Amino acid sequence: MTQLKHASNPMLTKLINPFRFIAGFRALAAGVLVILVTAVLAYFSNTHFPDILSVKISGDLPFWFLVSQGAGNWFIVSVVLYLTAVIASPSSVRLVDIFGTQALARFPYLPAAGIGFFGSVEKFGQYVLWENLGMGDGPVAMAGWEMGFAILLMMLTILLSIWLVALMYNAFKISANLKGAKSGGLFILGFIVSIVLTRLFSNYLLAGLV
Amino acid sequence: MDKKLPITCPSCQSELNVQSLACESCDTTINGSYDLPLLLKLTQEEQEFILDFVRFSGSLKKMAKKLNLSYPTVRNMLDDLIDTIETRQQSDADETD
Ligand SMILES: [Zn+2]
Repeated sequence: MTQLKHASNPMLTKLINPFRFIAGFRALAAGVLVILVTAVLAYFSNTHFPDILSVKISGDLPFWFLVSQGAGNWFIVSVVLYLTAVIASPSSVRLVDIFGTQALARFPYLPAAGIGFFGSVEKFGQYVLWENLGMGDGPVAMAGWEMGFAILLMMLTILLSIWLVALMYNAFKISANLKGAKSGGLFILGFIVSIVLTRLFSNYLLAGLV
Repeated sequence: MDKKLPITCPSCQSELNVQSLACESCDTTINGSYDLPLLLKLTQEEQEFILDFVRFSGSLKKMAKKLNLSYPTVRNMLDDLIDTIETRQQSDADETD
């Protein structure tokens, strides 16, 4: 009953747990839009998401591939968490709440897809590979500020990943009415299973490209 | 002033009973020992939730809309409340046994 009125920090609550206020079909509509826009951005910034958590710079990938990957990441984790919720929850869980909130929870990867536009991270990766391991096409010239910028962008990506996981967890907790150690343990389990499954799905999609 | 009915003892945390009731128009006082009704043993928030629930004819959807909360949030509150009531009834039954 602590849920109704706790004005500790409403702004933070909205950022970390918007699902107190939005779930069901509204979250689903907004979330599907988020996934589509993310795929469009990823297409132009050469970013892709080979599982529910990873952000990778890629070569040119077709738009259908990025849409399928984004949809797959969302769909697979939603199915896994829905099954978990139905088995473990004392409440009657609605399918639309799980799918809707998990779709909206992917919001942080919309800006993450934009990070690929800067190219600094990719260049920094090539720089580190050549300098430390002698791998790549040759020395990469990189100014100090550019390296700093690349590191900043990488830290930003990590923050966005943490935000994503926090949103996914809160989405699961509210949709499934689970609390405490039980919700934490089940979420971690579902998350790991989903990483493996989405990884397999992306590999399957990639195999279709060649 | 908005006074809150105390339901637990401030010194030992046990549940309080009603010991006297007073009529304000004729100054009669009744003494005895009465259990508080279950509804009054709930927190202020829980009581408000029940009133809202009745006001919205038991529709969680309407309630969520009016309170600007998501449907599962309101459903979870109801399920938690059912849980609280059941535990309370159980412990009250155990006491009278
Ligand atoms: Zn009287």
